[in-house]
Amino acid sequence: MAEAVYGPARLDRAGVDAWLARHAIDGDDAVAMKTNVERLLVYRDLVRKTLVGALKLAIPRTIARLGARFEHELSLFLAERGPRTHYLRDVTRELMEFWAPRFRDGAVGPRYLLDLARHEALEISVASSPDAAPGSTDELSADARLLFSPSLVVARYDYAVHRLPADEDDRSEPLLVETALAVYRDAEHDVRYLELTPLAAKILELLLDGEALGRAVARACEASGVALEPSVIDGTSRLLADLAERGALVGVDPLSGNAGDEICSSPSEDPR
Amino acid sequence: MSGASHRPQRVPCGVGLGLRWEFLEQVLDGPALDIDFFEVSPENYMRRGGYYPAALERVKSGYPIVTHGLTLSLGAADPPDDSYVSELADEIARLEAPWHSDHLAFTSSGSLAFHELLPLRLCRDTAHRVADRLEALGDRLACPLAVENITYYAPMGKPEIGEAEFLHALFERTRASFLLDVNNLYVNAKNHGFSPERLLAELPLDRVIEIHVAGHTKTPSGLVLDTHGAPIIAPVLELLEIALAHTGPVPVLLERDNDVPPLAELVEEVRTVREIWKRAAARPRTNERERHAASV
Repeated sequence: MAEAVYGPARLDRAGVDAWLARHAIDGDDAVAMKTNVERLLVYRDLVRKTLVGALKLAIPRTIARLGARFEHELSLFLAERGPRTHYLRDVTRELMEFWAPRFRDGAVGPRYLLDLARHEALEISVASSPDAAPGSTDELSADARLLFSPSLVVARYDYAVHRLPADEDDRSEPLLVETALAVYRDAEHDVRYLELTPLAAKILELLLDGEALGRAVARACEASGVALEPSVIDGTSRLLADLAERGALVGVDPLSGNAGDEICSSPSEDPR
Repeated sequence: MSGASHRPQRVPCGVGLGLRWEFLEQVLDGPALDIDFFEVSPENYMRRGGYYPAALERVKSGYPIVTHGLTLSLGAADPPDDSYVSELADEIARLEAPWHSDHLAFTSSGSLAFHELLPLRLCRDTAHRVADRLEALGDRLACPLAVENITYYAPMGKPEIGEAEFLHALFERTRASFLLDVNNLYVNAKNHGFSPERLLAELPLDRVIEIHVAGHTKTPSGLVLDTHGAPIIAPVLELLEIALAHTGPVPVLLERDNDVPPLAELVEEVRTVREIWKRAAARPRTNERERHAASV
């Protein structure tokens, strides 16, 4: 049945014979299926309509920019991989996993489209991520591991797709510039985007991976070729205070060794 | 019904409406609605945080909720995966649903998910397999289950038995209840050329726990599609009245998934259905009248 629903774009009468033979359907069963082949294909239309509806909610600008190519790319996904998830909202993620190599090769269209699709898809993904549990408000030390809202992610793009207009009819192209965004859900359930410097993005990625604060800053500086100076510590403090105010940083992991040198004040407490 | 529920619940009564995101904010922020309960698809709220689960929690504080799923894939060769069933059990418990329903269909094959209800082969083996699965799932979900008759556009092979016989074979083997969709019954009758009233009379109506009503659309080729995208038509309302005469006043739910009109129109449609429901509530069931006549 998967082949009938997701299979090649055409399943005419000749194709049906081969399909039935492949699946060892014969006798009266084969006659019943062949008699109703047009109606069988109604399911193909229904499935596509459902999937396209969900995808247009998630990545409308990418689909608009793909134009007629979208149907072809969707057909490839359905025929070669197909959705595996029970959750309609997760089909976008599965589709993009399938699309990624083709987009990177430039086989589908402009290379920035993969970044745009990823950026658009983040909206639903972050909006539906698990709710944050309250964290502790201990002072932040170099040994502390930080707890963030599960919605917080660092998104990296090769193109500044976040600056493209929201208009689906817009066809302007984004600048080719390395981009990092902190994306999170605020207390009102709205998805927010915060542009990050390369160093801030690296620090945040390491913290999200569970690295202790001091080590995350040191490693990020090393990786970025930046000297670990007081200005970096100040900048990190401001970033963490900002994230705490936005509800994206929820506290300190109580299991982490939070007894070392202070690196910055807990954003949830008065630093005076 | 399959399984045993041990949670506090608010059992729906009267006429409800499928909760859709198009009018969710009006339900939350507007005045109390003349709707007796809401039905939700748990898959839309499971395994996620944010606005929608929080909103549903608020809806739950004002209305009874029943859950109506789409992806248990009761007729699939393989049982649903464990993590999905666990997540579903948690969601049903969170919503304090008095029962959970899904469809007599398969929505997956192997690792593929179709996101559409595909019909089952009408044979005793399938009926028994689905019944056994319902028994196992009822225990795992810790919730009574009900199954809905679906619309089918093409048969899955030559039917060995008719739909009524299939349903009797199923319900003889499971404690699960029957969610009767009278629009599906009507659509199938139109597409396959039989009398909906005659089939209705043959169904195991004593097992009905809830009834669904909806609208449908017709394609240029004449095929009737169960779109839930139009108002209910009079013949479907007449079928509802006949069904309620047999079942008594079980909860009735209006489904509207496409071309969703303003909420006020849906509330008006709910009121129309409620008039029929009230008439059923006010008179003895058909089988009770028959018993009475036989005893006179």
